[in-house]
Amino acid sequence: MKIPVSWLKEYVDLPDDFIDKLTSVGHMFDKSEEIDGETVIDFELRGNRADCYSIFGIAREIAAIYGTKIKPLSVIGIKKGNITTKLSIKTPLVKRAGMVEVKNVKITESPQWLSQKLKLVGIDSINNIVDLTNYVMIETGEPTHAFDLDKIENNLEIRLAKKGEEIVTFQGVTLQLTDEDLVWAKDNQVLSIAGSIGEKYNSISDKTKNVLLEAANYERANIRRTVYRHKLFTEAGIRHEKELDPEMVKRAIERYLYFIKKHNWGKFEPIMSDYYPHPPTKRRINIDWSQIERLGGVKIDKAEIVNILKRLSFEINGTSVAVPSYRTDVSLPEDVAEEVLRIYSYDKIPAKILSLEIPKNVTPEYINQEKAIKNAATGIGFDEIISLSFVKEKYLNQNIPPSGTKVISIQNPPSPDTQHLRSTLLPNLLEQAQKVVHERGLIVQFFEIGKIYFRKKNYTEKRKIGLIYWKESGSKFTDFKSLLLGFFTKANITELVFTPEILNLELSDSYLIKIGKKEIGFGGSVNNMYYAEIDLDSILGNDKKYKISLWPKFPPQIEDITFIIPEKTYIGTVASEIKSVSRLITKVELADIYNNAYTFNIEYQHPEKTLTDREVGEIRKEILAKIKSKFGAIP
Amino acid sequence: MQEEIINTKNQTIARIGEAKTAEELEEIRIEFFGRSGKLTLATKSLKNTDPGKRKEIGVLINETKKTLENLISDKRNSLKTNIRQWFDPTIPAKLPKIGRLHPTSIIISEMTEIFKHLGFSIMEGPEIETDHYNFELLNLPKDHPARSLQDVLYIEEPEILLRSHTSSVETKSLENLKLPYRVVVAGKCYRFENVNASNNAMFYQFQGFAVQEGLSMADLKGTLFTFVKSYFGNERKIRFRCKYYPEVEPGVGLDLDCTFCGQKGCPVCKGRGWLEMLGAGMIHPKILKNFGLDPNKVSGFAFGMGLDRIVMDRFKINDIRSLYNGDIKL
Repeated sequence: MKIPVSWLKEYVDLPDDFIDKLTSVGHMFDKSEEIDGETVIDFELRGNRADCYSIFGIAREIAAIYGTKIKPLSVIGIKKGNITTKLSIKTPLVKRAGMVEVKNVKITESPQWLSQKLKLVGIDSINNIVDLTNYVMIETGEPTHAFDLDKIENNLEIRLAKKGEEIVTFQGVTLQLTDEDLVWAKDNQVLSIAGSIGEKYNSISDKTKNVLLEAANYERANIRRTVYRHKLFTEAGIRHEKELDPEMVKRAIERYLYFIKKHNWGKFEPIMSDYYPHPPTKRRINIDWSQIERLGGVKIDKAEIVNILKRLSFEINGTSVAVPSYRTDVSLPEDVAEEVLRIYSYDKIPAKILSLEIPKNVTPEYINQEKAIKNAATGIGFDEIISLSFVKEKYLNQNIPPSGTKVISIQNPPSPDTQHLRSTLLPNLLEQAQKVVHERGLIVQFFEIGKIYFRKKNYTEKRKIGLIYWKESGSKFTDFKSLLLGFFTKANITELVFTPEILNLELSDSYLIKIGKKEIGFGGSVNNMYYAEIDLDSILGNDKKYKISLWPKFPPQIEDITFIIPEKTYIGTVASEIKSVSRLITKVELADIYNNAYTFNIEYQHPEKTLTDREVGEIRKEILAKIKSKFGAIP
Repeated sequence: MQEEIINTKNQTIARIGEAKTAEELEEIRIEFFGRSGKLTLATKSLKNTDPGKRKEIGVLINETKKTLENLISDKRNSLKTNIRQWFDPTIPAKLPKIGRLHPTSIIISEMTEIFKHLGFSIMEGPEIETDHYNFELLNLPKDHPARSLQDVLYIEEPEILLRSHTSSVETKSLENLKLPYRVVVAGKCYRFENVNASNNAMFYQFQGFAVQEGLSMADLKGTLFTFVKSYFGNERKIRFRCKYYPEVEPGVGLDLDCTFCGQKGCPVCKGRGWLEMLGAGMIHPKILKNFGLDPNKVSGFAFGMGLDRIVMDRFKINDIRSLYNGDIKL
């Protein structure tokens, strides 16, 4: 809220550091500007302090901070009574409505003091009668509205609008109302949207002779919904959506009349029609004085506490304090504690080191796992990416959810690219990988750890790691597989099985990755890139404790054996068959491929002795026989 | 005796100069310094000499020793250079592919590390949340004015949404964890934002909370100051002020001095000289009551901050979009 310094000064002394102090007690200084040689400061006000959306409210805060006096507002005292205009209210959404009639008004241009003040806070001057409503709102915080009394006639009501009912605002915009919008109306004509904006025809014009001035208090949640529904972020709207003090209604009208009389802008009886069915009782809060210390962590003398509360106009009676009516934000002992602490100053709270009695560590295992998985992935030379959880329109064809599930969509996406949640990490990794290719990168090794989302019966989130690989000089599956094996080894996950499988994804050469029979992920290729995605919960707890072994004391025997193997044989199966022949075979590696000739590098080793040629020869014989009978392979 | 020493010295200097190989040099060294080397023997015989001359001779032996030692070691180095094969360590080499972490990951793990030392556990929670856990239980009923700061992305309006802050993990923890506990959470959050250089529909938050008997604002202040000073530097100025958040009472805002302008005011701090760093406070009594805790016995504090701005400052990134769209070259 914009505060011209000269205007603020009319009510309270301003010490040099008042801006810092206001910031420290909760109203953060935002910026300041010079307008016509005047300093106007802008504060970020607290959403729960409806009383501070006014110059007088801010002055009251300053007086409380420094313990100084505030200059009271001059008013014309008014009595409650009947006026000619009748108001019917049948909704509980109105908590108070006050009206006075001002007759024989002189509509003129506003005097300099008035129009200039409004200019400083960014409000255009219209005429004296309208400007005065705005002036009183900025000064006291209570919005008021002036109708042309001769146009609106004598029978008014405040009611919910009919669905589709229209209003042309004073700015000339036509709005279609809903049956949740509260309005002032006569017969079938809407005169204003309660709490936010007036209607065009019934507002004050040059020809207005008589005025009806109203100030009211509504159920703020309803006003807030209307303000957001129709985007009516007017000065009145942003105040009425907050919890205003109904007592302000009378005060605002009294202040308004003071200026009318002072400048002789009209004639009035000091009588206000006052609809006020349930005036709130004074709020009293029981205070446990020690709670302030318990919560604040600082000892404040009782006398000091009492002094602070008095400066804030709280009345103290034994252990109970009465809250001033305008402090609609204070209702709990903790609220009172904050009042004391903020005026006492947060700077005086000591900084204490937390107790060394450390609570039990409750970090779930999967959080430690993610750290280990990240280490494994960077360990094989993959860079981490983080992408948005949404899939761009362009990549939607890649966003295929697990079978039997659905992609989750956002109902109110800010853009089409943030409409669909990813149901695999593939599309975003692919997009970022392609970026590298387009920018003439030579290699892509990316991984992302994050959630995928889909709907089965419930909304489901699954933690995944996706890895993508591409090389400008020609990507090979075995290169990627060898990196993947490195990744799993570093993550202490062994006994992996890769089985071919047609997947419901835009991937060719696809396969499943399993530990034994348990599926843990999948892989495949797209646009010459290799991709694999592994479910982190499926491998959680599957990592073996990192074990070391000593170099064997007896040297192994190593030899190469070459087989001619028929086409469409899974070579991985051949290798594991070879390995399964004897426990003394410690390693089988594919050393070379030439046409259909596959050379295996085989290591034989006994833990307690050096194997003789004869012993190795016998194992070799078995290998040859088994591979020939199983696969028809010729050595 | 002195004459003998001087002669030996001069001869040896000449021989060192003429030595061609390291082996030759070593022979000279042994001849002189070895167990029965000339100098060793001379030192041993010192005790038999005329006590009047003993000191003089001793000084001479030491001086000779030093001179020869230096000469031998210089000669050894010069022999090495001469016999060394040509070797070029300046030859350009290819960088191996190194895997790196995303900047946000780095920041999260650094911050988490500090809080681990303060006895905090790490926690996470679902990103798809209900209005109940994301708002209602946090003292943010429907139509609360503070909700307008958090326009959410709905999956099924009004109940199912993407969490707008990591405070939903706080509600889950209050529901499930046994007192006392200290927890930090880092995670993705979502808001209705039209994407531009400084706003994204997805962002990261870092949040912490502690609940137990007897916690006060002094504990909160101590924790935050320890964190801020160890993470951002001991010399940073901190402003600890009153601020309103519906989730806490009393509420706190914590600002850091703007180092871009030395607090003179610049576009980064919007002329304020201070950067808003985090929001905090004592957990609101209504929230404690929502989970059956008695605010007169148990208290807690909570704090939260946006991470993306910190990542951008640290890694000198100007556009928030480039954090998560693949523009970063690690």
